[in-house]
Amino acid sequence: MKIATKLQLLFAGIVAVFVLSVAVLIAQMSALSGGYDAVLASPVRDMDQARVIQVNFKKEVQEWKDTLLRGYNPKDLATYSGQFRAKEAAVRDGAVALSKTVHDDQARQLLNQFIAADDVMSAKYQRAFDVFVAGDADFKAADKLVRGQDRPPTDLFDKVVSRLETKVQATVAAQQQSARRNLLVALGFSGALLIVLGLMGFLTVRSIVKRLARLHAVSARLAQADVEGLSIDISGKDEIGEFGESMAGVHAAIEELLHAAQAPVPAAA
Amino acid sequence: MATRLAGYYAQAANEFGVVGRMKLAMLTKIPSERAATEPDSPAHIQAFEQALKQLRAGAR
Repeated sequence: MKIATKLQLLFAGIVAVFVLSVAVLIAQMSALSGGYDAVLASPVRDMDQARVIQVNFKKEVQEWKDTLLRGYNPKDLATYSGQFRAKEAAVRDGAVALSKTVHDDQARQLLNQFIAADDVMSAKYQRAFDVFVAGDADFKAADKLVRGQDRPPTDLFDKVVSRLETKVQATVAAQQQSARRNLLVALGFSGALLIVLGLMGFLTVRSIVKRLARLHAVSARLAQADVEGLSIDISGKDEIGEFGESMAGVHAAIEELLHAAQAPVPAAA
Repeated sequence: MATRLAGYYAQAANEFGVVGRMKLAMLTKIPSERAATEPDSPAHIQAFEQALKQLRAGAR
Protein backbone atom coordinates (compact mmCIF):
# COMPACT_ATOMS: atom_id res chain seq x y z
CA MET A 1 0.00 0.00 0.00
CA LYS A 2 1.31 3.46 -0.90
CA ILE A 3 2.48 5.70 1.93
CA ALA A 4 0.10 8.43 0.72
CA THR A 5 -2.80 5.95 0.94
CA LYS A 6 -1.70 4.85 4.44
CA LEU A 7 -1.52 8.45 5.62
CA GLN A 8 -4.89 9.24 4.04
CA LEU A 9 -6.42 6.21 5.76
CA LEU A 10 -4.88 7.28 9.06
CA PHE A 11 -6.27 10.78 8.64
CA ALA A 12 -9.68 9.36 7.69
CA GLY A 13 -9.50 7.13 10.79
CA ILE A 14 -8.76 10.12 13.03
CA VAL A 15 -11.68 12.02 11.51
CA ALA A 16 -13.92 8.95 11.93
CA VAL A 17 -12.91 8.59 15.60
CA PHE A 18 -13.58 12.29 16.14
CA VAL A 19 -16.99 12.08 14.45
CA LEU A 20 -17.86 8.89 16.37
CA SER A 21 -16.76 10.43 19.66
CA VAL A 22 -18.88 13.52 18.99
CA ALA A 23 -21.86 11.32 18.04
CA VAL A 24 -21.45 9.23 21.20
CA LEU A 25 -21.11 12.42 23.27
CA ILE A 26 -24.28 13.88 21.75
CA ALA A 27 -26.13 10.61 22.38
CA GLN A 28 -24.89 10.59 26.00
CA MET A 29 -25.94 14.20 26.53
CA SER A 30 -29.32 13.48 25.01
CA ALA A 31 -29.81 10.44 27.27
CA LEU A 32 -28.66 12.43 30.30
CA SER A 33 -30.97 15.31 29.50
CA GLY A 34 -33.86 12.89 28.90
CA GLY A 35 -33.18 11.20 32.22
CA TYR A 36 -33.21 14.46 34.14
CA ASP A 37 -36.33 15.58 32.26
CA ALA A 38 -38.02 12.39 33.49
CA VAL A 39 -36.89 13.13 37.06
CA LEU A 40 -38.26 16.68 36.77
CA ALA A 41 -41.47 15.47 35.12
CA SER A 42 -42.57 13.09 37.88
CA PRO A 43 -40.82 12.80 41.27
CA VAL A 44 -39.73 16.45 41.44
CA ARG A 45 -43.14 17.72 40.29
CA ASP A 46 -44.85 15.50 42.90
CA MET A 47 -42.47 16.86 45.50
CA ASP A 48 -43.22 20.48 44.52
CA GLN A 49 -46.96 19.86 44.72
CA ALA A 50 -46.57 18.24 48.13
CA ARG A 51 -44.59 21.24 49.41
CA VAL A 52 -47.35 23.61 48.24
CA ILE A 53 -49.97 21.52 50.05
CA GLN A 54 -47.80 21.38 53.18
CA VAL A 55 -47.46 25.17 53.21
CA ASN A 56 -51.21 25.60 52.60
CA PHE A 57 -51.94 23.26 55.47
CA LYS A 58 -49.78 25.29 57.84
CA LYS A 59 -51.49 28.47 56.61
CA GLU A 60 -54.90 26.83 57.14
CA VAL A 61 -54.05 26.14 60.79
CA GLN A 62 -52.70 29.69 61.13
CA GLU A 63 -55.93 31.10 59.66
CA TRP A 64 -57.91 29.08 62.21
CA LYS A 65 -55.87 30.58 65.02
CA ASP A 66 -56.40 34.08 63.58
CA THR A 67 -60.12 33.33 63.40
CA LEU A 68 -60.20 32.46 67.10
CA LEU A 69 -57.93 35.32 68.16
CA ARG A 70 -59.54 38.10 66.14
CA GLY A 71 -63.00 36.68 65.40
CA TYR A 72 -64.68 38.73 68.13
CA ASN A 73 -64.86 41.42 65.46
CA PRO A 74 -67.50 40.35 62.87
CA LYS A 75 -65.50 41.86 60.01
CA ASP A 76 -62.33 40.03 61.04
CA LEU A 77 -64.35 36.87 61.64
CA ALA A 78 -65.61 36.98 58.08
CA THR A 79 -62.09 37.70 56.72
CA TYR A 80 -60.19 35.04 58.67
CA SER A 81 -62.85 32.37 58.47
CA GLY A 82 -63.05 33.01 54.71
CA GLN A 83 -59.29 32.64 54.39
CA PHE A 84 -59.44 29.53 56.55
CA ARG A 85 -62.09 27.99 54.25
CA ALA A 86 -60.05 28.91 51.18
CA LYS A 87 -56.91 27.25 52.54
CA GLU A 88 -58.93 24.27 53.73
CA ALA A 89 -60.30 23.81 50.20
CA ALA A 90 -56.86 24.33 48.63
CA VAL A 91 -55.34 21.66 50.89
CA ARG A 92 -58.07 19.16 50.17
CA ASP A 93 -58.15 19.79 46.41
CA GLY A 94 -54.37 19.70 46.23
CA ALA A 95 -54.16 16.45 48.22
CA VAL A 96 -56.85 14.78 46.10
CA ALA A 97 -55.18 15.91 42.86
CA LEU A 98 -51.76 14.73 44.03
CA SER A 99 -53.15 11.36 45.15
CA LYS A 100 -54.37 10.83 41.58
CA THR A 101 -51.11 11.77 39.86
CA VAL A 102 -48.42 10.74 42.33
CA HIS A 103 -46.04 8.10 40.93
CA ASP A 104 -45.36 6.32 44.20
CA ASP A 105 -47.81 3.81 45.74
CA GLN A 106 -46.64 4.34 49.31
CA ALA A 107 -46.99 8.12 48.97
CA ARG A 108 -50.47 7.62 47.50
CA GLN A 109 -51.51 5.51 50.50
CA LEU A 110 -50.20 8.14 52.91
CA LEU A 111 -52.02 10.85 50.95
CA ASN A 112 -55.29 8.95 51.20
CA GLN A 113 -54.76 8.59 54.95
CA PHE A 114 -54.04 12.32 55.13
CA ILE A 115 -57.25 13.16 53.21
CA ALA A 116 -59.28 11.03 55.62
CA ALA A 117 -57.58 12.65 58.65
CA ASP A 118 -58.08 16.09 57.13
CA ASP A 119 -61.79 15.37 56.67
CA VAL A 120 -62.06 14.42 60.35
CA MET A 121 -60.18 17.57 61.32
CA SER A 122 -62.36 19.77 59.08
CA ALA A 123 -65.54 18.37 60.66
CA LYS A 124 -64.17 19.14 64.13
CA TYR A 125 -63.10 22.61 63.07
CA GLN A 126 -66.61 23.21 61.74
CA ARG A 127 -68.16 22.19 65.08
CA ALA A 128 -65.67 24.36 66.94
CA PHE A 129 -66.46 27.26 64.62
CA ASP A 130 -70.17 26.86 65.30
CA VAL A 131 -69.45 26.85 69.06
CA PHE A 132 -67.25 29.91 68.65
CA VAL A 133 -69.96 31.85 66.79
CA ALA A 134 -72.78 30.67 69.05
CA GLY A 135 -70.77 31.39 72.19
CA ASP A 136 -70.11 35.02 71.28
CA ALA A 137 -66.50 34.51 70.30
CA ASP A 138 -65.68 32.11 73.12
CA PHE A 139 -62.34 31.07 71.74
CA LYS A 140 -61.47 28.91 74.74
CA ALA A 141 -64.47 26.65 74.25
CA ALA A 142 -63.82 26.44 70.51
CA ASP A 143 -60.12 25.79 70.96
CA LYS A 144 -60.82 23.06 73.47
CA LEU A 145 -62.72 21.15 70.78
CA VAL A 146 -59.87 21.17 68.22
CA ARG A 147 -56.73 21.39 70.33
CA GLY A 148 -54.14 18.99 68.91
CA GLN A 149 -56.45 17.92 66.09
CA ASP A 150 -54.03 19.16 63.44
CA ARG A 151 -51.28 16.81 64.67
CA PRO A 152 -52.37 13.58 62.92
CA PRO A 153 -52.81 15.19 59.47
CA THR A 154 -49.60 17.20 59.96
CA ASP A 155 -47.63 14.06 60.83
CA LEU A 156 -49.19 12.18 57.92
CA PHE A 157 -48.31 14.89 55.46
CA ASP A 158 -44.77 15.13 56.82
CA LYS A 159 -44.51 11.42 56.01
CA VAL A 160 -45.81 12.08 52.47
CA VAL A 161 -43.16 14.78 51.94
CA SER A 162 -40.47 12.61 53.47
CA ARG A 163 -41.45 9.69 51.25
CA LEU A 164 -41.43 11.86 48.14
CA GLU A 165 -38.06 13.35 49.13
CA THR A 166 -36.65 9.85 49.44
CA LYS A 167 -38.09 9.01 46.03
CA VAL A 168 -36.52 12.11 44.44
CA GLN A 169 -33.16 11.35 46.03
CA ALA A 170 -33.30 7.73 44.86
CA THR A 171 -34.28 8.77 41.33
CA VAL A 172 -31.53 11.39 41.16
CA ALA A 173 -28.99 8.88 42.52
CA ALA A 174 -30.07 6.31 39.90
CA GLN A 175 -29.80 8.97 37.21
CA GLN A 176 -26.33 9.97 38.39
CA GLN A 177 -25.25 6.35 38.41
CA SER A 178 -26.62 5.89 34.91
CA ALA A 179 -24.81 9.04 33.76
CA ARG A 180 -21.55 7.80 35.30
CA ARG A 181 -21.98 4.40 33.64
CA ASN A 182 -22.73 5.98 30.26
CA LEU A 183 -19.74 8.29 30.65
CA LEU A 184 -17.48 5.32 31.35
CA VAL A 185 -18.86 3.48 28.32
CA ALA A 186 -18.29 6.55 26.12
CA LEU A 187 -14.77 7.05 27.49
CA GLY A 188 -13.97 3.36 27.06
CA PHE A 189 -15.28 3.33 23.51
CA SER A 190 -13.41 6.49 22.49
CA GLY A 191 -10.30 5.37 24.35
CA ALA A 192 -10.29 1.97 22.65
CA LEU A 193 -10.71 3.58 19.24
CA LEU A 194 -7.92 6.05 19.96
CA ILE A 195 -5.61 3.28 21.19
CA VAL A 196 -6.25 1.20 18.05
CA LEU A 197 -5.75 4.24 15.84
CA GLY A 198 -2.67 5.33 17.78
CA LEU A 199 -1.18 1.83 17.51
CA MET A 200 -1.85 1.72 13.77
CA GLY A 201 -0.31 5.18 13.35
CA PHE A 202 2.70 4.23 15.46
CA LEU A 203 3.31 1.00 13.50
CA THR A 204 2.89 2.81 10.17
CA VAL A 205 5.28 5.62 11.12
CA ARG A 206 7.78 3.17 12.63
CA SER A 207 7.76 1.06 9.45
CA ILE A 208 8.24 4.14 7.26
CA VAL A 209 11.03 5.54 9.45
CA LYS A 210 12.87 2.19 9.63
CA ARG A 211 12.78 1.71 5.87
CA LEU A 212 13.76 5.34 5.28
CA ALA A 213 16.73 4.81 7.58
CA ARG A 214 17.81 1.78 5.50
CA LEU A 215 17.36 3.81 2.33
CA HIS A 216 19.43 6.60 3.81
CA ALA A 217 22.21 4.16 4.72
CA VAL A 218 22.24 2.78 1.15
CA SER A 219 22.28 6.23 -0.44
CA ALA A 220 25.09 7.31 1.93
CA ARG A 221 27.22 4.36 0.82
CA LEU A 222 26.45 5.04 -2.86
CA ALA A 223 27.38 8.70 -2.35
CA GLN A 224 30.72 7.53 -0.95
CA ALA A 225 31.16 5.13 -3.93
CA ASP A 226 31.27 2.36 -1.35
CA VAL A 227 29.51 -0.33 -3.35
CA GLU A 228 31.64 -3.26 -2.31
CA GLY A 229 29.34 -5.85 -0.75
CA LEU A 230 26.45 -3.41 -0.71
CA SER A 231 23.09 -5.13 -0.48
CA ILE A 232 19.89 -3.23 -1.14
CA ASP A 233 17.05 -5.08 0.47
CA ILE A 234 14.29 -2.50 0.53
CA SER A 235 11.14 -4.06 -0.85
CA GLY A 236 7.51 -3.08 -0.73
CA LYS A 237 4.80 -1.73 -2.96
CA ASP A 238 4.96 1.81 -1.68
CA GLU A 239 7.07 4.85 -2.59
CA ILE A 240 9.99 3.68 -0.43
CA GLY A 241 9.93 0.24 -2.11
CA GLU A 242 9.95 1.90 -5.53
CA PHE A 243 12.82 4.14 -4.47
CA GLY A 244 14.69 1.09 -3.17
CA GLU A 245 14.21 -0.60 -6.55
CA SER A 246 15.65 2.45 -8.30
CA MET A 247 18.59 2.41 -5.88
CA ALA A 248 19.15 -1.26 -6.69
CA GLY A 249 19.28 -0.35 -10.40
CA VAL A 250 21.78 2.42 -9.77
CA HIS A 251 23.86 0.09 -7.64
CA ALA A 252 23.86 -2.57 -10.37
CA ALA A 253 24.83 0.04 -12.98
CA ILE A 254 27.75 1.27 -10.86
CA GLU A 255 28.93 -2.29 -10.28
CA GLU A 256 28.69 -2.95 -14.00
CA LEU A 257 30.71 0.17 -14.82
CA LEU A 258 33.35 -0.83 -12.29
CA HIS A 259 33.41 -4.31 -13.72
CA ALA A 260 33.62 -2.96 -17.27
CA ALA A 261 36.58 -0.87 -16.28
CA GLN A 262 38.33 -3.95 -14.89
CA ALA A 263 37.22 -6.88 -17.02
CA PRO A 264 36.27 -7.66 -20.60
CA VAL A 265 32.72 -8.29 -21.71
CA PRO A 266 31.56 -11.80 -20.72
CA ALA A 267 31.50 -14.18 -23.62
CA ALA A 268 28.14 -15.03 -25.15
CA ALA A 269 26.93 -18.62 -24.89
CA MET B 1 25.97 -20.99 -14.56
CA ALA B 2 23.73 -18.47 -16.35
CA THR B 3 24.98 -18.64 -19.88
CA ARG B 4 21.89 -17.03 -21.32
CA LEU B 5 22.04 -14.06 -18.98
CA ALA B 6 25.73 -13.57 -19.76
CA GLY B 7 24.78 -13.70 -23.44
CA TYR B 8 22.46 -10.75 -22.96
CA TYR B 9 25.39 -8.71 -21.65
CA ALA B 10 27.43 -9.67 -24.68
CA GLN B 11 24.61 -8.55 -26.94
CA ALA B 12 24.29 -5.26 -25.11
CA ALA B 13 28.02 -4.66 -25.30
CA ASN B 14 28.09 -5.45 -29.00
CA GLU B 15 25.16 -3.20 -29.79
CA PHE B 16 25.62 -0.29 -27.37
CA GLY B 17 29.05 -0.64 -25.76
CA VAL B 18 29.72 0.04 -22.08
CA VAL B 19 26.70 2.33 -21.88
CA GLY B 20 24.53 -0.59 -23.01
CA ARG B 21 25.95 -2.82 -20.27
CA MET B 22 25.42 -0.12 -17.71
CA LYS B 23 21.81 0.42 -18.78
CA LEU B 24 21.15 -3.34 -18.88
CA ALA B 25 22.46 -3.64 -15.34
CA MET B 26 20.36 -0.67 -14.25
CA LEU B 27 17.17 -2.07 -15.79
CA THR B 28 17.62 -5.66 -14.60
CA LYS B 29 19.33 -4.79 -11.28
CA ILE B 30 21.75 -7.66 -12.03
CA PRO B 31 25.32 -6.71 -13.08
CA SER B 32 27.19 -9.01 -15.46
CA GLU B 33 29.32 -10.51 -12.70
CA ARG B 34 26.21 -11.65 -10.85
CA ALA B 35 24.43 -12.58 -14.10
CA ALA B 36 27.17 -15.15 -14.68
CA THR B 37 26.28 -16.93 -11.47
CA GLU B 38 22.51 -16.43 -11.32
CA PRO B 39 20.31 -19.24 -12.70
CA ASP B 40 18.69 -18.85 -16.14
CA SER B 41 15.28 -18.67 -14.60
CA PRO B 42 12.25 -17.67 -16.69
CA ALA B 43 11.83 -14.52 -14.59
CA HIS B 44 15.42 -13.44 -15.17
CA ILE B 45 15.25 -14.22 -18.89
CA GLN B 46 12.04 -12.23 -19.21
CA ALA B 47 13.61 -9.29 -17.34
CA PHE B 48 16.68 -9.31 -19.59
CA GLU B 49 14.62 -9.67 -22.77
CA GLN B 50 12.46 -6.77 -21.70
CA ALA B 51 15.48 -4.65 -20.82
CA LEU B 52 17.16 -5.34 -24.17
CA LYS B 53 13.98 -4.41 -25.99
CA GLN B 54 13.88 -1.18 -24.03
CA LEU B 55 17.51 -0.45 -24.92
CA ARG B 56 16.88 -1.09 -28.58
CA ALA B 57 13.73 1.02 -28.55
CA GLY B 58 15.64 3.87 -26.91
CA ALA B 59 18.38 3.66 -29.52
CA ARG B 60 15.97 4.15 -32.46
